Amino acid sequence: MRRFLSLSWSSAREGRLAGSNGERLASDYIVAQLQAIGAKPLPGRRDYRLPFEFTAGTRDGGSRVSIGDRTFGTEADVRALSFSDNGDVSGDVVFAGYGIVVPDGQDFGYDSYTTLDVKDKIVLVLRYFPEDADQKTRQILARYADLRYKAMAARQRGAKAMLVVTGPRSPNAGETVPMSFDTALAGSGIVAASISGPVASQIFAAIPDKTLETAQQSFDSGNPHTAGFAIPSLKISIKAAVQRETKTAQNVVAYLPATVPAGARLKPWIVLGAHYDHLGHGEAGNTLAAKEDAGKIHFGADDNASGTAAVLAVAETLAAEPRQRNVVFAFWSGEELGLIGSSAFTKGPPLPLDQVAAYLNFDMVGRMQDNKLNVQATGTSPVWARIVEQANIAAGFDLQVQEDPYQPTDVATFNASNIPALSFFTGTHVDYHKPSDTADKIDFEDLDRIVGFATAIVRRVEETSEAPQFTKVEQKMQSGGGRAGVRVFTGTIPDYATDAKGLLLSGVIGGGPAEQAGLRKGDVIVEIAGQTIANIYDYTYALDVLKIGQPAKVVYLREGKRMETTLIPAARK
Amino acid sequence: MKVLRLGIVIGLIAGPVIAQQQQTGPVYQERDFLTRVRRLTVDGRRAGEGYWSPDGKRLVFQSEREPGNPFYQIYVLDFATGEAKRISPGVGKTTCAFFRPGTDEIEFASTHADPKSKELQEAELNIRASGQQRRYSWDYDPEMDIYAYNEKTAALKRLTDARGYDAEGSYSPDGQWLVFTSMRDAYNRPLDGAEQKKLAEDPSYFAEIYIMRADGSAQRRLTSVKGYDGGPFFTPDGQHIVWRRFDETGLIADVWMMKPDGSDARQLTDFGSMSWAPYMHPSGEYIIFASNKLGFENFELFMVDAQGRKEPVRVTYSDGFDGLPVPSPDGKQLAWTSSRSGGSAGQLFLAQWNHDKALEAMKNAPLRKPAKKS
Repeated sequence: MRRFLSLSWSSAREGRLAGSNGERLASDYIVAQLQAIGAKPLPGRRDYRLPFEFTAGTRDGGSRVSIGDRTFGTEADVRALSFSDNGDVSGDVVFAGYGIVVPDGQDFGYDSYTTLDVKDKIVLVLRYFPEDADQKTRQILARYADLRYKAMAARQRGAKAMLVVTGPRSPNAGETVPMSFDTALAGSGIVAASISGPVASQIFAAIPDKTLETAQQSFDSGNPHTAGFAIPSLKISIKAAVQRETKTAQNVVAYLPATVPAGARLKPWIVLGAHYDHLGHGEAGNTLAAKEDAGKIHFGADDNASGTAAVLAVAETLAAEPRQRNVVFAFWSGEELGLIGSSAFTKGPPLPLDQVAAYLNFDMVGRMQDNKLNVQATGTSPVWARIVEQANIAAGFDLQVQEDPYQPTDVATFNASNIPALSFFTGTHVDYHKPSDTADKIDFEDLDRIVGFATAIVRRVEETSEAPQFTKVEQKMQSGGGRAGVRVFTGTIPDYATDAKGLLLSGVIGGGPAEQAGLRKGDVIVEIAGQTIANIYDYTYALDVLKIGQPAKVVYLREGKRMETTLIPAARK
Repeated sequence: MKVLRLGIVIGLIAGPVIAQQQQTGPVYQERDFLTRVRRLTVDGRRAGEGYWSPDGKRLVFQSEREPGNPFYQIYVLDFATGEAKRISPGVGKTTCAFFRPGTDEIEFASTHADPKSKELQEAELNIRASGQQRRYSWDYDPEMDIYAYNEKTAALKRLTDARGYDAEGSYSPDGQWLVFTSMRDAYNRPLDGAEQKKLAEDPSYFAEIYIMRADGSAQRRLTSVKGYDGGPFFTPDGQHIVWRRFDETGLIADVWMMKPDGSDARQLTDFGSMSWAPYMHPSGEYIIFASNKLGFENFELFMVDAQGRKEPVRVTYSDGFDGLPVPSPDGKQLAWTSSRSGGSAGQLFLAQWNHDKALEAMKNAPLRKPAKKS
C-alpha cells in the first residue's frame, strides 16, 4: 500500500494536473504497476492509456479595438472575454449602463435595454452592478451581473458585440478582465471583450458633456429608470480572438479477465475507478492554498493518490484468485476539472456499458477519522445495503451510508449511465486541495482495511449470477447553500464537458420534472420558455424566467431531430 | 428484551424531565468505554435489540428488512460469514428474540397467528407510501405471543396463548426458565371504568413480569405494581432478574432487581428520568442501561453498580438515541441500538468495551442520594 501511494511522493509529477507532463509521468507509474500486477489493456487494445481532449485554458490571441484612427492592441487595453466568439465586427456604439436585465417574474423591474435600440450595434457596458444601490437591489442585480449573462442579454437584443469596462467607481477600476478558467469548448454566440479605462474614455470623448465617471455615477444608485444612450457619430471596430487551448489527458484502464467463461454471468464486467489527477500547482483555480503557499505543488496524497493506491491494491489481490467476472481498473484524469475523464470514458465507452454489473469509486480514502467510512450512492441498487452490511461485518467500520449518487466525484458519471455504483470516502480535512495534502498524513492501516472491505464487495458482486439491479435515485434538494438565486428545479443533469450547441443532458434526475417531460440522457436542449440556449450558462440564466408549476415549452434535439415537450418546473426546496 | 424503544418514546409528549448533568470527579468520554465503534446493520429501515448467542459468535436481532412487510422480523447474524438469516415467519410483527442456552432454540414474540396480519402490513405500507410520517408507536398488539424456533428442525413452538401482549422474553443462563412481560392482566379479569380508560390510552400500564418453564408450562406472575414492568433479564449467575419499572404516569422509569421467585425486589436507580433496558455485565459487577436523563429524546447509555449504591455513570455521548445495551458473553464487546448514523431510525452498533475503565468510573462515582419515598 505504501508502495502504491508513492504516486503522490515524487515532485516530478508536479501535482498531476490533467494534461500536464506530471500527469503523464503519473500515468507511466500506474501503467508500470498494472503490468507488474498482470492486468492487461482492455480487449482489442494494446495500450493502457485512453487519451481524451479537453479545453485546458483560454488566452487572448491578439484582440484589438480601433476607435477613429487609434488602435489599441495590448492586453492591458483590450482582452477578449473567455467565452467570446472569434471575429471582426464594426459599428455604432450604445452605452447601456450596467447591461443588466432582470428577467420577468422576479417582481423587480430592471432592464438596461428598455429604451435602447442596440440591433446590429456594439454595446458598451459597465462591469459588476450599481455600486451605491441598497442591499436588496444589489442582491438581485448581482445575480444577473455575470459577464456571461450580460453578453447573453446583449446578444438577445441583437447586439453584434459587447464591450465591458470596469468603471472608475468600481473595484479594479479601469482594468481589463482577466481570462477566466473555462472548460467550456464553445463561444457564447457574440463577440465580447473588455477594455481599459483609457480606451473607454476615448469612446466617451465623442460626447462633450459626459465622462465615463459621471455616466457610471448616474447608474450607481440602482434607479431602474436611468437610461443608457447612443454615442453619436462614432464607429469603432473590434477584433476578438480567443485561443482555446486544447490538451490531451489520459485515463489509464486495465482489466483482469474472468477465470471462468465470462458468459456464465449476466453483465460480465465490474469496474473499479479512482481519479489520479490533482491540482498541479493550483493553476486551474480550484486550490484552497493559503496565499503564502500559492503556486506550490499540490501533492494530493489523499486526493486521490489514496484512491489510486486502493484500486491498485484491490487489483493485486484479485489477480491472485479465481474471478467470476472481468474486473476493470480505471484511473481517471480530469476529475478535478469536472469529471472530464470518466465522462469521456462513458461517452465513448471502450467496453459495452450495459454489460457493466457495477462500478466502485474511491475518492479520498486515506484519512479515516474515528473509524468512519462514508459509503455513497447505495441507493443505486437494492442489493447494496445487504452487500455492504455483509462485507462490513468483517471490516468493522462505523459506516456512514449515503444513498445519494449525485456526488462531486466520478461515481456521478456512472450513475448517469444507469450503472449500480458505490463510492468510498473517508471525509474531508484541513489539507483538502492544499499543498499540505501529503503522504505522511495518510492512515495506511485503515486504507488497507478499506481495500479489504472493497475487495469483499467485489467478490460478492462477482458471485451473483444475476447482476445488481439499477435504481434511479431522486435527487434530494439541498436546503440553503449552493446557488442561492435558483429557485426552480428542473431535474436535468447537464454535461459539463461538451462542445454541443445547446445543453446536452448527461442524465435526468429520477422523478424530476425533466424526466416527467420525457427528456433523457443525450437530448440537447436548445430552447426553454422562449429563451434560446447556446450553452449551459444560457440555460442557468433561463432558469430564472421559469415559474414554479407553470408549464414551459422545451425545444430539444434528439438524435439530430428537433422535438418539443412541456416541462413543469418544481420548487427547489 | 425491552420493547420500549426509540419510537414510543418519541411518540410521547415531553414530560417534566429536566436535563441536568451532575459531574463530579474525573470526566469521562465515550471513547474511555467504547472503542472501535462500528455499525453492524445497514439493510432495512431500522434494526435493533441485538442479543448474543452464548458462544458470542452470533447475534439475534430484529430488523425491518423483509420485502413486503413493514414490521420487524427476526434475523440471526453470523459474524463469520457476515450474513443475516431470517428465522421468524416473515408475516406479521415480531420482537425481542433470545438464544436458549445449551439448545438449538431461539425465542421471540410474533403476531403471525393473527389472521389480520397481512391486512395490517398492507395498511402500514399504504400509510408509508402516502408519504405520511406517522409517528412510530408500538401498539402492544394483544395478538403478540411468544414462540420458540428450533434452528435444527425449523419447528416453531408456541409458548404463550393468553390474550394480551406477551413478549420481551429472555432465558435463564441454564436455559430452563423464560422470564417475560405480559399485559394479560388487562384481559383476564373485569376492568373498572378507570382501568378501561387506561387500557384504551396505554395498555402498557397493565404490563407485569412473568416467568415460565422453557416449554411454556408453569406460567407465574412476579410483579403486581401499577405501571409498566418490563424488559426482564436474568443476571449471569441466574440468581436475579433485572428489569425496569415505570411509574403510573409512564414517564419515569428506574432499574430494579429481584429474585426469580419475585421476592426481594430492590430499586437500583433513582434517576428521575426514563431509565430502562437494563442488562447486567457478565462480570456481575454492574448494569448498563439507557436513560433520557440529558434530554427527553436524547437517550444515552449509563451504567450503575450491581448494588445501586452509586449515581449512574454516563457511557455514550452522541445526539439522538443510544439504548438497548447488551454486553458480549466474554464482556469485551457491547452491542447496542443507536441512531448515531443519522435520521431517527436506529441500527445495531458494536464496540469494544473497556471493563476496567467502567469499574474505575463507577468507583469514582458519587454515592446515590437516598431514594425518595413515593
